[in-house]
Amino acid sequence: MLLVIVSGLALGGLYGMTALVYNVMYSTSKVLSFGTGQFAMVGGICTAWLVLGLHLPLWLGFLACLASGAVFGWLSELIAVRRIIAASDEHLWVLSTLALSTMVQEAMAIWWGTDPTPFPRVFPQEFAGSFDQKFWLPLILAILMAVGLEQFYRHSMIGKLFIAMSEDSFAARARGVATDRMRSLSYVLAGVLGALSGFAGGQLTFADFALGTALGLSGFIALAVGGIGSSVCALVGGGALGMLTSLTTHYFGAEYQKTIAIGLLILLLVVRPQGLFGTTQVRHV
Amino acid sequence: MKHSHLRPVIVGAFALFAALLPYITGNLYYLHVATVIGVYWVLIATLNLLVGFTGQLSVGHVGLLAIGAYAFCLLAGGQGWNPFLALLTGGAICAAIGLVLGLPSLRLPGFYFAMATLAFGLIVSELALAEQWLTNGSVGMPAPSFPTPFDTPWGFYWLVLGIATLITWMTANLARLMWGRAMVALRDSTVAAASVAVPIYMTKLMVFVFSGFTAGISGGLYATSQSYITPDAFIVNLGIYFFVAIIIGGRGVIIGPFIGAAVLAAIPELVGPLAKYGTFFYGFILLVVVLVLPGGFGELITNVASRLRREPQVSTSIEPDLVLLRTAIRVKP
Amino acid sequence: MINHLEARVVTKRFGGLIAVDNVSLELRPGEVHGLIGPNGSGKTTLLNLISGYYPVDDGSIHVGGEDVTRQSVQDRARLGLARTFQTPKLVLSLSVLDNAMLGGWPDVGSGFLETAFAAPRARREEANIRERASTMLQGVGLGTVMDRRADLLEHTAQRFLEIARALTMRPKFVLLDEPAGGLTEAEIERLGAIIGVIRDSGIGVLLVEHHTDFVFRTCDRVTALNLGRMIAHGSTTAVRYDPEVIRVYLGA
Repeated sequence: MLLVIVSGLALGGLYGMTALVYNVMYSTSKVLSFGTGQFAMVGGICTAWLVLGLHLPLWLGFLACLASGAVFGWLSELIAVRRIIAASDEHLWVLSTLALSTMVQEAMAIWWGTDPTPFPRVFPQEFAGSFDQKFWLPLILAILMAVGLEQFYRHSMIGKLFIAMSEDSFAARARGVATDRMRSLSYVLAGVLGALSGFAGGQLTFADFALGTALGLSGFIALAVGGIGSSVCALVGGGALGMLTSLTTHYFGAEYQKTIAIGLLILLLVVRPQGLFGTTQVRHV
Repeated sequence: MKHSHLRPVIVGAFALFAALLPYITGNLYYLHVATVIGVYWVLIATLNLLVGFTGQLSVGHVGLLAIGAYAFCLLAGGQGWNPFLALLTGGAICAAIGLVLGLPSLRLPGFYFAMATLAFGLIVSELALAEQWLTNGSVGMPAPSFPTPFDTPWGFYWLVLGIATLITWMTANLARLMWGRAMVALRDSTVAAASVAVPIYMTKLMVFVFSGFTAGISGGLYATSQSYITPDAFIVNLGIYFFVAIIIGGRGVIIGPFIGAAVLAAIPELVGPLAKYGTFFYGFILLVVVLVLPGGFGELITNVASRLRREPQVSTSIEPDLVLLRTAIRVKP
Repeated sequence: MINHLEARVVTKRFGGLIAVDNVSLELRPGEVHGLIGPNGSGKTTLLNLISGYYPVDDGSIHVGGEDVTRQSVQDRARLGLARTFQTPKLVLSLSVLDNAMLGGWPDVGSGFLETAFAAPRARREEANIRERASTMLQGVGLGTVMDRRADLLEHTAQRFLEIARALTMRPKFVLLDEPAGGLTEAEIERLGAIIGVIRDSGIGVLLVEHHTDFVFRTCDRVTALNLGRMIAHGSTTAVRYDPEVIRVYLGA
């Protein structure tokens, strides 16, 4: 039973981190990117390839992982978001991020293959049951990431600029904030964080090309449960979903994982579209 | 909504070509591709109303295709029902599921709705594998064929053609009459739609249910066209394909998505070993279209057409005709 | 007042801010009623409350004797309430004629399936609405551009298109939200003439405007707001020379 709880928390950490990544991109662009889960996938596969395939040292694989996330974050802002935001049709970014996400996923499937491959051990450790690193890494990293982000928003200049943009991007631009550059920076940050989550969760999920879509969906459910905008709520949402997934797998088998999780999502979106903690917004005519 | 004298001619010529296709090409393989295009089109034509006209980004319609396919196989095959009855029942089942799915999700803004439909598609494909007692899991099941004369490739092709023509006619009617304007208003300006008393939620729901019905019918026809169905025929990527066909073809037009559907059906069949690049290219084309030509190729065609018609871009001088206005407002039929 | 449009003591708060404070307003058929006030006085908010885009916090709205306070935007439109918007809200991918024809939607009785099968009733309604809309378009002066896409229209034409759409609804009341915004003097003249014709045919017009000259020229009665409260209402002359109105508009 401890194993069930621990794996639930680990999954929760992974989903929570994905929700955090959504938040970072949403704050500066009001865009919920379909490609959010792909950072983790790219980072994970990059590490697995370098370390297990090319036998490079782990720290190099780690840096490359973060770099790959940064590059893809930067690219996704540049390609899928920047020009679209200026256009009046708000549906377009759904399509552009979906398109880019599909391309990245399929490119990976073609190059790396469709079988999930193992991920290297981060710390030398014999398999330790409930205390194995594959459970604790994502959980601890999720907490660190949430705390780190909050500190970043509260105490760093750039973090405060992100918050200013999320509240009113027109006003921010009028005050001289280079909104394009800030947005790009936030996407790079999102990419790095996403890749980091992929690194932390790699032993749990394996290097799998299909991880991106699944993680994007689960991270979104975590976001919907917790409400957009708050790091703590993202973790709580992730934790709830992680525990639910783990418990249903334990009692009903792995086949109903998605069904139950998605049932939860639809129920939640119907009853409380703003999430458990979010606030309703006033519409302006 | 546009009055073009050229259009009926083009449509007529195409209809003639389509009807005579089995005679034009003796090749059964091409006939099969054309049949699959027709089957996909039955789904895409009404999905076009939902996505292209009303602006609801449904990514998961493949789930309804799957349910329609399995329902048809179970009813007409296992239970021995009349295939036409089974087909209609499959459509009705999917319409009902569309209602249940649409009731909560249509209240959601764009991204959330897209996610909810994507989630639906994933659930269906997961359940198709898991519920072995119903679907035979990964083994799949055979699809029954229709009674004569529709059990030959030619006969089946004409059945699909007939159904596709009927559906196209229905969507064209909806598009060019007042409901079509209401649907586009929902996509472009819900404020304007509300101000003229268009019921926003009900309209979306009706379009969604209708598209569910035809998706179910399409599923049954798809099953027969493939002779055997398994869960991996209904992966989520296919749902994205349908969606992309519409966006590429052009929202708010009918001809464009049809070309998109044709390309979609033809590529895997004709490209063979390159098929695994298919999804990548679909993503790529979608990205290019969204960045460069958000209206799709349909908009490109209408732009070129109006450029060719050479409309003079004279600055509008607004001269009200007050006498006319006076009498017009007074008239109460 | 059975056939009037009334807002009775309505209040609207946004968070801690009172946008509309106990305002009452009565629009009679066959009159042009002006609604003036400086920026932030609550004019557009009041319009949104009357047409149903915002719910009231206190008070009630009545259209033709019926209490519509709990009713949706669509229900009020069906009772004969039409409006235009501060920034024109058009369906930009449709033609001018299609946009105007949208105003005929309240008269559409054909259902979804009826339309799908092109039933005679659907086709008849389409023809009737097309004729009505094109007549309204010619009446406001847009007869020459009926087939042009709405996003290719200039600003003034877009405003007049909104008016044509509103008239196609065969409304009892028309609410105009700053229709003179961005118009030249000559265009404002034409707008005034059109408003006059609308009034003469028995429709009640509520005119929200910044151009106080235009309002005083065109309106029969005026209500003036400041900071959400009504500071004057009555005949145009009375309001025009009201000391409080003069103070608010000419500075303290």
